[in-house]
Amino acid sequence: MQKCGLFFTTYNSEDQLFPSTFQKTCLGLFMAAMLAAPCVLDFYYISVMNLIMIAVIGAVSLNLLTGVCGQMSLGHGAFVGVGAYGCAFLATKGLPFLFCLLGGGAMAAIAGMIFGIPSLRLKGIYLAISTLAAQLILEYVFLHWTSFTGGANGMPVDSPEIFGFMFDTDEKMFYLIFAITSVCVLGVSNIVRSRSGRAFVAIRDFYQSAENVGVNLFQYKLQAFATSSFMAGIAGGLWAYYTMYITPEQFSIGLSISYLAMIIIGGMGSVLGSIFGAIFITLLPEVLNIATSMLETMAPEASAMAAPLKEGVFGLTLVLFLIFEPEGLVRKWKLIKAYWKLYPFAY
Amino acid sequence: MIKRILTLTVLMVTLLIGSTAFATLKVGVLSDLTGPTSSVGVPYAQGVKDCIAYVNANGGVNGEDIKLIQVDYAYNVQQALAAYKRFKSQGIVALQGWGTGDTEALVRFVSRDRIPVFSASYSAHLMDPKKAPYNFTIAPDYSTQGRAGLKYIKDSWKEDRAPRLAFVYPDKPYGHVPLKAMKEYAKELGFEITGDEVLGLKAMDATPQLLALKRQNPDFVWVGGTTPSTAVMMKDAKKLGFNGKFLVNIWGNDENLAKMAGAACEGNFGMQAAAVYGQDVPGMKMIEEQTKGQPKMTHYLRGFVSTMVMVEGMKQAAANGKVTGQSIKEALESMRDYDPMGLAPAISYFPGDHRPSMAVNVCTVKDGKLEFLETVSLPRDDKWLGK
Repeated sequence: MQKCGLFFTTYNSEDQLFPSTFQKTCLGLFMAAMLAAPCVLDFYYISVMNLIMIAVIGAVSLNLLTGVCGQMSLGHGAFVGVGAYGCAFLATKGLPFLFCLLGGGAMAAIAGMIFGIPSLRLKGIYLAISTLAAQLILEYVFLHWTSFTGGANGMPVDSPEIFGFMFDTDEKMFYLIFAITSVCVLGVSNIVRSRSGRAFVAIRDFYQSAENVGVNLFQYKLQAFATSSFMAGIAGGLWAYYTMYITPEQFSIGLSISYLAMIIIGGMGSVLGSIFGAIFITLLPEVLNIATSMLETMAPEASAMAAPLKEGVFGLTLVLFLIFEPEGLVRKWKLIKAYWKLYPFAY
Repeated sequence: MIKRILTLTVLMVTLLIGSTAFATLKVGVLSDLTGPTSSVGVPYAQGVKDCIAYVNANGGVNGEDIKLIQVDYAYNVQQALAAYKRFKSQGIVALQGWGTGDTEALVRFVSRDRIPVFSASYSAHLMDPKKAPYNFTIAPDYSTQGRAGLKYIKDSWKEDRAPRLAFVYPDKPYGHVPLKAMKEYAKELGFEITGDEVLGLKAMDATPQLLALKRQNPDFVWVGGTTPSTAVMMKDAKKLGFNGKFLVNIWGNDENLAKMAGAACEGNFGMQAAAVYGQDVPGMKMIEEQTKGQPKMTHYLRGFVSTMVMVEGMKQAAANGKVTGQSIKEALESMRDYDPMGLAPAISYFPGDHRPSMAVNVCTVKDGKLEFLETVSLPRDDKWLGK
């Protein structure tokens, strides 16, 4: 645990990702638990964890763009789609998995940069509408560019293979997705502490001041779009490899809104918040489904009436979160940590 | 308080696990009860459940009851994926699926896990065992439905000139899937194609599309939407004095059409795969008993038939040995002219062809009620498989 007060004597020590031994130990234990998970958990839980980890990459990447750099995006689901289709297309050419994944990410980055160009002139809700246009245009492309995307019939994708090893079960995919998610989360954490990350924050806080201190707005905004979309593309690629079949319906505006909900619920501008948000949004429908199943076992008639309430409960939970914890789950997490750090004193 | 909550949780989990632990034949049901397709998803799912209740009350499969595990996935692919994993972990032998997005997303999972799926998604490529070996449906694909509809209107065409045909559909995969096949067949039959119009599934007004159609002056318009958009189209057509007849795809032509479009939908044509409630077929008595005489939508009957066919496959598999996903698939592929008591055209599956039949029911709305007109049968042509 950290000592009360600031005891850093160098900037580098203050800037560490994990400044205390306690945090490093906790991280080590968490990593060990994750690695052991497929050996002890049922594959249903593993598959849900896989979905969560793919969502984590998408949410972390959107948080870099929207939470850290202040560039609102309603087209993130479509960038995920570009990555998925890019990856699937390269895979059909017989290219190796890692090349396809990075290629899909690169295609998404290019798409993100193209649709990020208006960000120099537009901000806030205007930029949101411009990115919404990106979403609609890309959805149109997914459906109509049949030779690249398979059109309405979609595209099959084979399980990934690295040096002859096939990732063809949920458990094997878990390790692959976990490794890539860890790299992405670590990558964003480091970008935030770098020169680019500080420039992003300056642009978010007040773009004119940022420009006055020498931040090239166009360059950094495009960089934010490119980096964010690249990682969205990686998430899309993993989704394609995991589900093994992609169709245009999977990358609709609903996905973009879902990612936005993740970062708002989790905490804007926080990497940890994105993770919490992704876990929350992915798990909530599962928990509601399990609750409905339990209700059905006990009272089938009541369950039929309660089923339509499920969507309402989902919406209500989101609203209550925004009212009672507008800074997201990450703020709650900080309060819990502070409580234990200060225990038994209140302040 | 905490102790009470813990006790209640343990009790609920025990009940949940206990309720599924003793049933040997488990079937997953993926339903949209609360999502965008719930208006048709709810009656379809009810049909599935009622059929299982009927089967269990009448000896089950080889004396064993079937246990349904239903999940409402709200038409969300990610939730469908998680639900499928839950089904699999609980040991299902077959799945009753639902929409296009989730059926396609699960194609390769079910092939890998060898779990046959009956869904209400009728994309042609799902009928090709080379691409979707464990996918089955009880309705022919959208392309076959469209071709049968075209054959019906061509056969009833009396004038000397070629009938003019236009297409109206949403710019969605569902709208696009049968277009190419239908246009090719329409040319083959001698239709003159006048053009295409796009109408969204949530359209509130179809005036621009109808004004364009009036200029094209088609005799028939194929509508590839759902009931609400079709109703909007028909009401606006009546308002604008459009004279062409509509030929509606399976999801745009049901009992709700008359409620939404009123007199505007009378006399148009629509395709269906199952009987209409109250139709004079041998199985209707069973349906009326099961529903206590309360009329149900044709989607309910389709859900019922889909489950009947799956159960028949399970019974065959039980007669051949053990009931597993693989044995059900093999039993289904040897099914020849299985008659679901007239509730749908007779069904046959082949190892290389999962089209259930090439017969499509043509319906119309008369005096505010959906009515069966005729069953149109096409040859089981290999060149159409998967297209």
